[in-house]
Amino acid sequence: MTDISPVSSETQPATIWRKSLRNSGVMIGGTILAIIILIAIFAPLIAPHDPVAQDLSRRLLPPFWQDRSLPEHLLGTDQLGRDYLSRMIYGARVSLGVGLGVILVSGTIGITLGLLAGYFGGWVDMVISFAITTRLSLPIVLVALAAVALGGASLWTLITVLGLLLWDRFAVITRAAAQSLRHQEFIMGLRAIGAGRFRILFLEILPNMQSTILVVVTLEVANVILLEAALSFLGLGVRPPTPSWGLMISEGRDNILFDPWLIAMPGSALCLLVLAVNLFGDGMRDVTGPVRK
Amino acid sequence: MTHYSPKYFLSSVAALAASLTFAVGTPAMAGKENNTLNVAFAAEPEPLDTYKIAGRQGLILARHIYDGLLYKDLDTGEIVPALAESWEFTSPLTMEFTLRKGVKFHNGADFTANDVVQTLNTVITPEYGTRYSISVDWIESVEKLAEDKVRINMSKPFAGAVEMLADALPIYPHDFFSENGSEGMAAAPIGTGPYKLVSQEAGIRYEMERFEGHYEGSPKSGATIDNIIVRTMPEMNTQYAELMSGDLDWIWRIPPDQAKQLESRVQIISAPIMRIGYVGFAPESMGGDSPIADKRVRQALIHATNRAAITDAFAGGASKMLNTACNPAQFGCEQDVTSYEYDPEKARALLAEAGYEDGFEMEMVFAAMPRPTAEAVAADLANVGVTLILNEQQYSSGIGKWRAKELPAFFSNWGSYGIGDAVFILSNFFGGGADDLVQDPELAEWLNVADTASDRDVRAENYSMAVKKIADEAYWMPMYNFNVNYGLAEDLNFTPHPDEFARWWISSWK
Amino acid sequence: MLGYISKRLLVAFCVCATVSAISFALMFMSGDPAIAIAGAGGRAQDAEAVRIAYGFDRPIVIQYLDWVGSALTGDLGRSIYFNVPVTEIIGNRVGVTLTLGVLSFLLALVVAVPLGIAAALRPNGWVDRIALILAVTGQAIPSFWLGLMAIVVFGVWYDWLPISGAETWQGYILPVIVLSYYAMPAMMRITRSGMIDVLATDYVRAAKAKGLPMSTVIFRHALRNAVLPLVSLAAVQLGLLLSGSIVIESVFALNGLGRLAWESLLRSDLPVVQAIILILSLLYVLLTTLADILNAILDPRLRGAS
Repeated sequence: MTDISPVSSETQPATIWRKSLRNSGVMIGGTILAIIILIAIFAPLIAPHDPVAQDLSRRLLPPFWQDRSLPEHLLGTDQLGRDYLSRMIYGARVSLGVGLGVILVSGTIGITLGLLAGYFGGWVDMVISFAITTRLSLPIVLVALAAVALGGASLWTLITVLGLLLWDRFAVITRAAAQSLRHQEFIMGLRAIGAGRFRILFLEILPNMQSTILVVVTLEVANVILLEAALSFLGLGVRPPTPSWGLMISEGRDNILFDPWLIAMPGSALCLLVLAVNLFGDGMRDVTGPVRK
Repeated sequence: MTHYSPKYFLSSVAALAASLTFAVGTPAMAGKENNTLNVAFAAEPEPLDTYKIAGRQGLILARHIYDGLLYKDLDTGEIVPALAESWEFTSPLTMEFTLRKGVKFHNGADFTANDVVQTLNTVITPEYGTRYSISVDWIESVEKLAEDKVRINMSKPFAGAVEMLADALPIYPHDFFSENGSEGMAAAPIGTGPYKLVSQEAGIRYEMERFEGHYEGSPKSGATIDNIIVRTMPEMNTQYAELMSGDLDWIWRIPPDQAKQLESRVQIISAPIMRIGYVGFAPESMGGDSPIADKRVRQALIHATNRAAITDAFAGGASKMLNTACNPAQFGCEQDVTSYEYDPEKARALLAEAGYEDGFEMEMVFAAMPRPTAEAVAADLANVGVTLILNEQQYSSGIGKWRAKELPAFFSNWGSYGIGDAVFILSNFFGGGADDLVQDPELAEWLNVADTASDRDVRAENYSMAVKKIADEAYWMPMYNFNVNYGLAEDLNFTPHPDEFARWWISSWK
Repeated sequence: MLGYISKRLLVAFCVCATVSAISFALMFMSGDPAIAIAGAGGRAQDAEAVRIAYGFDRPIVIQYLDWVGSALTGDLGRSIYFNVPVTEIIGNRVGVTLTLGVLSFLLALVVAVPLGIAAALRPNGWVDRIALILAVTGQAIPSFWLGLMAIVVFGVWYDWLPISGAETWQGYILPVIVLSYYAMPAMMRITRSGMIDVLATDYVRAAKAKGLPMSTVIFRHALRNAVLPLVSLAAVQLGLLLSGSIVIESVFALNGLGRLAWESLLRSDLPVVQAIILILSLLYVLLTTLADILNAILDPRLRGAS
């Protein structure tokens, strides 16, 4: 006889905390993430220079491990003579902000739609699948191009556009997961005893998809940040002179053969952020664990 | 256990791939050895019907394939005979040409007056859709007077007429053109030029071969290179890599920072061109409410921007800061004008005088300019309290907004079709048309006289007055004249010209 | 079955119609096509002439219906830039993109699935860690960076492989590897997490308790269900590959559809853009339908669904 009670000792907060401390993924990922978040929050105190202050006489100075560098610009300067270290520090704000903002919007939309489609099936599923397919066929760049032409490039335009566009992966995955969960015995059992549809949806099915959703979130964070880079490069993203790692990568693209550090540094920061998010996400997935059926 | 890392993984894959292909390797396309010039463009050339081409790339190819009645020798600045042996103005609105004999097209057909008449009469019709109306709207009709004589009847006086006849109006073979039209010409270009097109993948790859039957006495004769292969490679870094490895012999439009880096490894030539960068102010925009409706504000903005530093930093090479709304190399571009030197103090004083001592906020749209230049301008203006909101747009949407009077400031550039005459720039922006957001009747009057007069002194005098007034009123913040950096193989002799048209029939190997 | 197909056809038609209408509107919103076609040196009257010649002065709805009418008869119009039928231009370039996309997809699959399974068998083991690093770097490195690094290493330092053009089959090696490295991480992680979830379920534990060999457990029981989300993702990934090819095609100078789409977008070559978007939407409908069918086959419990 299967135990259909979804509540087990593993989901108690104290237990989760205890398990987290022992899980290397959560610890390492979480620490890196925390550091980056702190850097972003305390940027004005940490950064040695104003990230948008330009000095045309000091363009493209290399970082401290190369010859022509200057001590007050540890990581060198960019094409406009702006201090790279300061831009890196402030860049954390934009990357984190855009990532969070977009994921919040697109995640909410996508998960809701996917849940509804996967669980209810029928014409609800048809309509939502139609919306997903329509969204997928629409090139992001075209929407961004039109949005920028209408409203100008800015952080908010970017978050809105991406948020309203990137829900598809959430929807697709959640829909598939919901479909397969729908037929699990414990769900059927709940329906048999007359539990309300939305209770089942949000209290039973959704928590069971945690691991899958976590994975999609961690996938999407990197996707969003890179998309921001691509759009910023095309002039459709963050408005210059705002420092964002994505924009810095794009701006360094012309110099990739000669001054590779211009891309390598924000690129590595990005990598680190994504690694941290993934480690943390994976660790949390392991810690909260799939609910025993 | 072997040391696993992504780098190791990638290099093992690479080693595997390499071992499969090592023997085969890359096809040898060394330039000098097979007398083949390997060229790369970043932008795709348009179909090879000159009259429908707007971009330089297509026009460069077209000028190797086709010829016009006349030709402009850029070293001397003179117009010389090409397909026409001689010409004269028989009245203010008619020109008569005596055509050269013995000229053959690439397909063997003879060149006669029929070709001139048929080509020109076709391309001046509105249905044909010639892209740049400025090149043909001055022609009323063309008549054949004899097998080797034609007459052009002009619809209006136009000082740029002779310039246009010099290679901007190529002559097509009348049989082929009347049968196959623009599409046919683009698919199988047939001209009288020094090179003929051997094969093409539209927009991707073109192969040209020297035409041995190119007519004697041509200003384009003397080509030494046998083959020219042109490819489109959108990624500049890939172009640099291939240039350094020897697979490419000629690339252009290299940004100044990268040109400096490449200097030690390949041959770099920098040459100035007609194109200039500018910030246009629209006093009438936004219902005349914008701060820049006030002349002092405009002058303040120019004083506040360190244009010389920006020019040095971002234009580099042969570029110079400008004080006029035209390129100094253009006929009519008076240089004795009011100039506004970099002086932030003065800027602040002027702003205070105009009532803006606390500064103000303004949107500036920029298009087709490197982003750092716009950012540099914004940073300079921020120093005197003017917050510039930068809005990068595609050229088509930016210019649309400009014409709709929605923008107080527009930062872009203008190429004047590569021609060294102010008729191709000033009246576009100040002559009263749709791109003129200043709408100064006095200016429009002077420019109209200058554009249509046949007397060079009259033209120069009127242009001079116009240029001076534009500077006095600070209608424009002129930035700098562009230069083009060419990346060349070490053993290539190439001469650049200020009209941005590459002439490979002059090039040779060292 | 017939009902199912006709329903899907209806969906396909609706999607294509909606998408093409939206993209038509967006193209007009993102700039004036007449100005874009007239070129940067064009004066206002040149743009006007273009506007009249191509009918851009008509109301947008009329222009759209005109396009729809022709499209339904199979006439996708002529490319404004190239002045040849759209079908011809697309036909010339679709082969390159398809080759690139399919090869990258297969390569990614071949690497991702075994890696994901191996990682799931021993979570937090060294294979898992390596797979994670591979996944993260694959995702976080911009594809143009990877592509350019490949060009520098294999084109400049060691002249082993061609770095531009698709004239020889070797010209595909670098682009395919770069593109699949970009697509592989998502597939790997979904496989891994799906496998982990499934391996923890009762019936798999029961199978193991019965003493079945690991390979049977994996292939007979676990994989079928772990792969469900992967199948859905794969449909999206294939489409993502096609759009990722825009960057790769530009970097490696390949004559493909992605590059054509981007350049046509910039120069407002409406007929080409509309045609490509039409093809994209048809492709997505096809892929999602296939994914659903595949899902139904793999998981009999879903067959009752819609």
